[in-house]
Amino acid sequence: MASLNPLNHLSRRDWLKLSAAGVGATAASGWLNVLAAHAAKTGARHKACIVLWMDGGPTHKDTFDLKPGTKDGGEFKEIATATPGIKISEHFPRFARWTNEAAILRGMSTGEGAHGRARYYLHTGYKEGQGGLIHPALGSLVAAEIGNSDSPMPNYVSVGRAGYGAGFLGARHQPLIVNDPARGVENMRPLVSSQQFDKRVGLLEEMENAFFKDYKATSGTDHRTTYQRAVNLMQSKEAKAFDLSLEPAAARAAYGEGKFAEGCLLARRLVETGVSFVEVTLGGWDTHQDNFDRVKKLSAQVDPAMSALIKDLKDRGLLDSTLVIWMGEFGRTPKINARGAKPGRDHYPRAWSSVLVGGGIKGGQVIGKTDAQGATVVERPISALDFLSTVCKILGIDYTKVNNTPNSRPVRIVDKGANPIKELF
Amino acid sequence: MNPTARVTRWGSLLALTLVVALLCVVPTTAADKKKAKKNQTEPVQKTETKVVASRATSTPAAATALAQRIDTEINKRLQAEKIQPSGRSSDSEFVRRVYLDILGVIPTAEQAKAFLDSTESQKRSKLIDDLLTREQYGRHMADLWQAMMLPRTSDNRRLNSAPLTAWLADNFNKNTPWDRFVYNLVTATGNQEENGAVTYFLANGTVDKVTDNVTRLFLGVQLQCAQCHNHPFTGWKQTEYWGMAAFFMKVQPDNVNKAAKNGGKAGVIEKNGKVNPRRLPESAKMVPAKFLQGEEPKLKTTDPYRPVLAEWMTARSNPYFARATVNRLWAQFFGRGLVNPVDDMHDNNPASHPDLLRGLAQDFANDHFDVKNLIRGICNSEAYQRSCKPTASNASAPASVYARMAVKVMSPEQLYDSLTAITGSVKPERPVKNAQKRPQTGRDAFVNFFQVEEGADPTEYQAGIPQVLRLMNSNQFNNTAVAASLVRAGKKPEEVIEHLFLTTLARRPTAAERSKLTALVEKNTARDAYADILWVLLNSSEFTLNH
Repeated sequence: MASLNPLNHLSRRDWLKLSAAGVGATAASGWLNVLAAHAAKTGARHKACIVLWMDGGPTHKDTFDLKPGTKDGGEFKEIATATPGIKISEHFPRFARWTNEAAILRGMSTGEGAHGRARYYLHTGYKEGQGGLIHPALGSLVAAEIGNSDSPMPNYVSVGRAGYGAGFLGARHQPLIVNDPARGVENMRPLVSSQQFDKRVGLLEEMENAFFKDYKATSGTDHRTTYQRAVNLMQSKEAKAFDLSLEPAAARAAYGEGKFAEGCLLARRLVETGVSFVEVTLGGWDTHQDNFDRVKKLSAQVDPAMSALIKDLKDRGLLDSTLVIWMGEFGRTPKINARGAKPGRDHYPRAWSSVLVGGGIKGGQVIGKTDAQGATVVERPISALDFLSTVCKILGIDYTKVNNTPNSRPVRIVDKGANPIKELF
Repeated sequence: MNPTARVTRWGSLLALTLVVALLCVVPTTAADKKKAKKNQTEPVQKTETKVVASRATSTPAAATALAQRIDTEINKRLQAEKIQPSGRSSDSEFVRRVYLDILGVIPTAEQAKAFLDSTESQKRSKLIDDLLTREQYGRHMADLWQAMMLPRTSDNRRLNSAPLTAWLADNFNKNTPWDRFVYNLVTATGNQEENGAVTYFLANGTVDKVTDNVTRLFLGVQLQCAQCHNHPFTGWKQTEYWGMAAFFMKVQPDNVNKAAKNGGKAGVIEKNGKVNPRRLPESAKMVPAKFLQGEEPKLKTTDPYRPVLAEWMTARSNPYFARATVNRLWAQFFGRGLVNPVDDMHDNNPASHPDLLRGLAQDFANDHFDVKNLIRGICNSEAYQRSCKPTASNASAPASVYARMAVKVMSPEQLYDSLTAITGSVKPERPVKNAQKRPQTGRDAFVNFFQVEEGADPTEYQAGIPQVLRLMNSNQFNNTAVAASLVRAGKKPEEVIEHLFLTTLARRPTAAERSKLTALVEKNTARDAYADILWVLLNSSEFTLNH
């Protein structure tokens, strides 16, 4: 009886038996190539991407595009950074040491001002509902394009929330969702002893073979392959990446406390094992009220976690191949609203900031500029298409490539009209 | 497995369905009557007359003729291409398939056993008739159509879709003739409480969205490409799109924001007078209303526009309507349309069996758009009742010749309903915290998690690792109560094993399976062994595929 766990013990005889049973090509790519892929890992590293998603729309004027001393400039001070001439909020003191690796994009201008539609747009590059399709999110596109399809690990992991999915690319490129990084992947452990689980898997294998022998359905082969990959993941050494308790206490402490910090640490562990795309969400940026207290607290979560992540990647020689993105769905109004005792800022897609770090880009720069109020982009505006095509280019993905929907409609990875930011290359 | 517990669960589900149906139906009827009285001259009256005529005419004989038509045309092509079709499905294959296709859930062990052991000569066609009278039929049809009618957008996540589910289920169960069914959907006004059909427009609440959905669903054409540019294959101009869209220029959502905040009633109104231009996309072209590839009707500015469109769409002479419906229903049962993809019907994408499609569409229109009868015809055909197992002669034949039945993958709804019918757990795994969203049931959460893109090939296995991990390792589908109750029942291992196979696969175990698994039970604690067997069966291809 051949086992579903290829890494454990797969003899050539078992292998031939399976081939003879007609389990053929799909299984082959899932098994032998796993070993080949492991051997090949010593070669050139795949690129990877970590998105730190600031959900709710982070205020650009109180983070990376301050206008101190102006009306509605807010109460935060600017501080100098490692890069002469670049100044950011006083609440990012640790990140300030890493600006030579980073490009701050101050000319984001995207036009969608409602959370749902803006999240969709910035994740997919398409307006929600366009052509009646559900478009794949960046994570799924990256997983499909540069992910290692033979790895037992998923290629797109979303930490802290459901994340945007594969749309018409199909369930194979859906994110693996980790709700609580401290708990890891849900349903990764069998409910019974590993001995009993192996027995079940062995029996399942027999059922699968018998069914395939009679019906020869490709859906049956795909079903079987997906189960193999899931069992594989459960039993793989790579899956240990999900277990944060294996991380030394000092290394954990550097990230700070809380789910977002744990999410960033998890992202690093995943990228180390070869995962292509990880998105970590920090909610709470929808600061219509009490903007300054809240942004101060949020910044205090981002600053250590993001800085520790960059440092760890750098120390491991992974920063040049790993792009870290700090972004949300839009910015916030240049004016401080007059709502209550603790006012805030409202949704503002016309001008906002995002930050790119690593991935081999030219760091130490600010790209784009807003006017004195932070209300209009006066230099180098960046559309959602420009932004996403830039990310693709950094990751070595041809953003003009056409994917076909199940109904054979051609849809480009990034729609026509995109101009990647050439200053980064 | 405790049959009593199961009956109770089904009983309460049935009762619940009835309550929901009653709550929604009564006001709808009242509102319809009121409206009909108010607009004496409107086409609503006309369709009411159609209905009365149709109810009396559907007969089983018509279904037999449909089945014959199907087999004549399908076999003609098989003979011409010298392909030998697969044999008839076994009773086990058939009973499981027809339950899944008509009711959306696998048969219970008792239902499967009763069918397998029956010696009646007409037992297949009797079962088909019986299933079409069950309440669960409407619910399953509502699941299928709702998935196509409610785009999964961020706005729609807040939409209360329950009134539409109830409306659809009720109309499918009442077998409302399809012309009136669609007429009522496309022209619906009022609030959600009195008319669940308005939910369709609320979910497709702009001129372009509703035009796209109505033409795709009910006319089988993908006009949406022509919204922004002339269609590359069909010769549809942008003006053709906006000519159809013009019929939706007056309809508007009503009271939606207030309803979301204060719990009031969201609804739909069709105003007289001008369109609100804010709701039109940039690509909009203001052209006179014009039927697709047809004439420009004279519209009175004082009257609503949608009834004029709906009247044209649902007419027996409409060139798209019956074809599109027949093709969609065919695809529901065969896993692909006679024209495939089902919503891409145009001259350059011909049917695999043009005469069959033409004939079935004619029959459907002549038969007063009787949906149940069409289904009866399809399910009684040899083509539908063929085995999925390939033979040497047809192993490499394309799916479009129907030499064997397609193996379909269970939809998330079918999978959830079938799993919970066995394991009995209906609690959501995580409670939904966000109060802004409509309350999510465990079924909603499961369906969202397993959801595939609309239009995905139903014969392709789409689930990924996270989905498979949940099936293998979550408490939800692995509760130990089922195995424990089997032990308590004190039956022999052979009997329990047979029961488990009938429960999950609607078949009895093979001799080899029987002896191997009996040995397993004897070598281990019975409870563990039964849990192992159930786990294996529920996680098998044979379970999750409809074959």
